[in-house]
Amino acid sequence: MRFRAAPADALLQASLDPFTAVFHRPSGQTHLLVSPAPEMLAALADGPLSLSDLHDALAAAFQLEDAEGLADRMAELVAAGLVTAEPAA
Amino acid sequence: MTDPDRPDYPIDEAVEAADGQPVAPVSQTRRRVLALGAAGAGAVLSIRPALAQTAGSVLTCQIPVPDSGRAGSFIAPDGSTVPAGTKGAFAPPGRPFQGEDVKRAMAGGRLPGTTYESNRAYVNYIRRLQRGQGGFTCFASLQMPRG
Repeated sequence: MRFRAAPADALLQASLDPFTAVFHRPSGQTHLLVSPAPEMLAALADGPLSLSDLHDALAAAFQLEDAEGLADRMAELVAAGLVTAEPAA
Repeated sequence: MTDPDRPDYPIDEAVEAADGQPVAPVSQTRRRVLALGAAGAGAVLSIRPALAQTAGSVLTCQIPVPDSGRAGSFIAPDGSTVPAGTKGAFAPPGRPFQGEDVKRAMAGGRLPGTTYESNRAYVNYIRRLQRGQGGFTCFASLQMPRG
């Protein structure tokens, strides 16, 4: 299973410290994100990743805590429609 | 200003090991901590869209599952549409859902004629509706707070 973020041109993002507001143009919905959701979206910007690859990408840039929570955070992004799950290539 | 006893180490930057021997200052790139566990309500909060709709028309509006563009497709547990007969997916309910039924389901109830699993699949489908799909305006209007 891989996870693909909505294309960059489908999103309008604004930093409202500590939140990141994300307007999803196709659905017209606005979401408020807090870490690690914005960081996860950014890591998916270059293409879909499996949870394992996403973990590795985040670990390269950050000092991760509570790594077992990654799947739950991804489920939130999928439920919001900001990320879609697809079969692995 | 350096320590006259240790001219190579500035006083305010000298670091000593437990035995009193000087240790060269170590610089390292500190990565920001990123906590992946949820504190409280999770990391994503969806805000209701602002659409004008009368209370009466909201409750009687309809949401087809799936919309006409995907007629015949089955609904996977995550709400995506898949080819008919896909294992683990659910056949379409056969008739559109009323707005008031969907509103009730969003609040923890169950859509009429569904099982726990098919209800969850249909609700996930509805949550993923996008502008341009049949039922989107009805769904978006259900989330509008009523005055």
